[in-house]
Amino acid sequence: MLTNLKRIFRFGWQGFTRNKGLGFQVIFIMTVAVFLITFLFLFQGLSDFLITQAQKKVDISVYFHRETPEEEILEVEKELYKFSGEVESVDYVSKEKAQELFIQKHQGEPLYLQALKEVGENPFLASLNIKAKNPTQYAQISEFLTHGPFKNLIQKVSYYENKKVIDRLFALTSNIKTGTIILSLILAGLVILITFNTIKLTILSSKEEISTMRLVGASSWFIRGPFLIQSIIYGVLAVFITNLIFGVSLNFLNPKLQIWLLDFNLLTFFQENFPFLLSVQFVFALGLGIASFFLAVRKYLEV
Amino acid sequence: MIKFQNISKIYHSSKTPVVALKDVSFEIKQGEFVSIVGKSGAGKTTLVKLLISEEKPSRGEIFFKGKKIGEMCPADIQYLRKRIGVVHQDYKLLTSKNVKENVEYIMQVIGASDKDISRDVPQVLEMVGLLDRQTNFPEELSGGEKQRLAIARALIHRPEVIVADEPTGNLDLYNTFEIINLLKKIHGLGTTIILATHNREIIERLGHRVITLEKGKIIRDDQEGKFIL
Repeated sequence: MLTNLKRIFRFGWQGFTRNKGLGFQVIFIMTVAVFLITFLFLFQGLSDFLITQAQKKVDISVYFHRETPEEEILEVEKELYKFSGEVESVDYVSKEKAQELFIQKHQGEPLYLQALKEVGENPFLASLNIKAKNPTQYAQISEFLTHGPFKNLIQKVSYYENKKVIDRLFALTSNIKTGTIILSLILAGLVILITFNTIKLTILSSKEEISTMRLVGASSWFIRGPFLIQSIIYGVLAVFITNLIFGVSLNFLNPKLQIWLLDFNLLTFFQENFPFLLSVQFVFALGLGIASFFLAVRKYLEV
Repeated sequence: MIKFQNISKIYHSSKTPVVALKDVSFEIKQGEFVSIVGKSGAGKTTLVKLLISEEKPSRGEIFFKGKKIGEMCPADIQYLRKRIGVVHQDYKLLTSKNVKENVEYIMQVIGASDKDISRDVPQVLEMVGLLDRQTNFPEELSGGEKQRLAIARALIHRPEVIVADEPTGNLDLYNTFEIINLLKKIHGLGTTIILATHNREIIERLGHRVITLEKGKIIRDDQEGKFIL
């Protein structure tokens, strides 16, 4: 058993070193496959980042009647955190703070400051700025505020004014996610087909040899084994080459890419996710290689 | 040891079916030296292919040591092939392996130890005159050398039966009789030999049993046969 295993490994290595031309083709096509999977992984990371960034910019504000005491507003804040666990943050902005923020924002714009002075008393309302974990939750939160136990305290909820924008954003992020998945599936499918056909053509040149091995009494595994070893070597090399290309090019291109990709640091994302990415690459490359070789050889074993 | 019982083989690959063997029956005892003669297309190679289960008969049964080959499971077929050394007409060499590795492979298939392999392979290569060509690949060999390599491969694991399909087709007269003498020597050690050939001189010199095939049918089976075609 051990002797046979040793021989299978030796034959596999021999096959790899002797079929350089065919090996190059398989390594090339498998590198393209792993490259694409890596690209899709990074693209997924980028699209998630962009979606999160867009979602972060959306919030709703609840404005309370002028006479509402601060304790009651803070009570609403507490209740919001309890509400379905979908609320990410709630920030209380008092009337005074709102006025202060207005003044800060319009510093150096005398027209605004003059208008504020003419009004006399503080015209701002106390408010709560709410960020939901998911934009789909804003409708539910607004419904809770306008029809729930605190409805008499509330003057207005900004959701109804921004509903169109929020709904559009939700549709857009959802479409981007679906699009990315569909694109990934199509490209992965294509790359699997191309790799399988390349390996099938490689095995075709060994067709006679496989039949002869069978005719002299070699078992299926004694014939298949070396091809599987070869596919593992090809897979490992494809993963190595892909990471070398990505590693080197990201190191050089990252500063420029970061400007293009709205501050998304591709290199950091690549490094932070490297262990997971590496396992995805190995599972994909080895799985694809082994399955393709296994199926391609099987056809010629039926002698 | 080997029994062909009412064997017919019809190939359906072309437009009109080709009858390669028609109701062929014969028996070969252990230790016999049998020549199967016939013109090209008489069915000699089909007989060899049927014996190692490379082809399945259209009708009839083939027995090896009392066991029906048609009813053997893949593992039994594998075992059967290990017990029969075949010299194929088209050599069937492993093109990605060199001369030495081609012969070693057979030993590796039967699970021989590395020690046995390194002892036996050079001996057999020397016997067929290929010791100095052991690192060459089949594509670098002449027709005769390929044939000798095919013979070395069939002999190396000392099988119970050696089937040689035109083993001297590409050899000169001197080498032809070297190979025949080699087969006779192996036969002398108790190995069953089945030799398919259309070489008149070989048959007349051997003086063993001859089965004559014509258009897929046995037309003669003589114990001390002659080449009658």
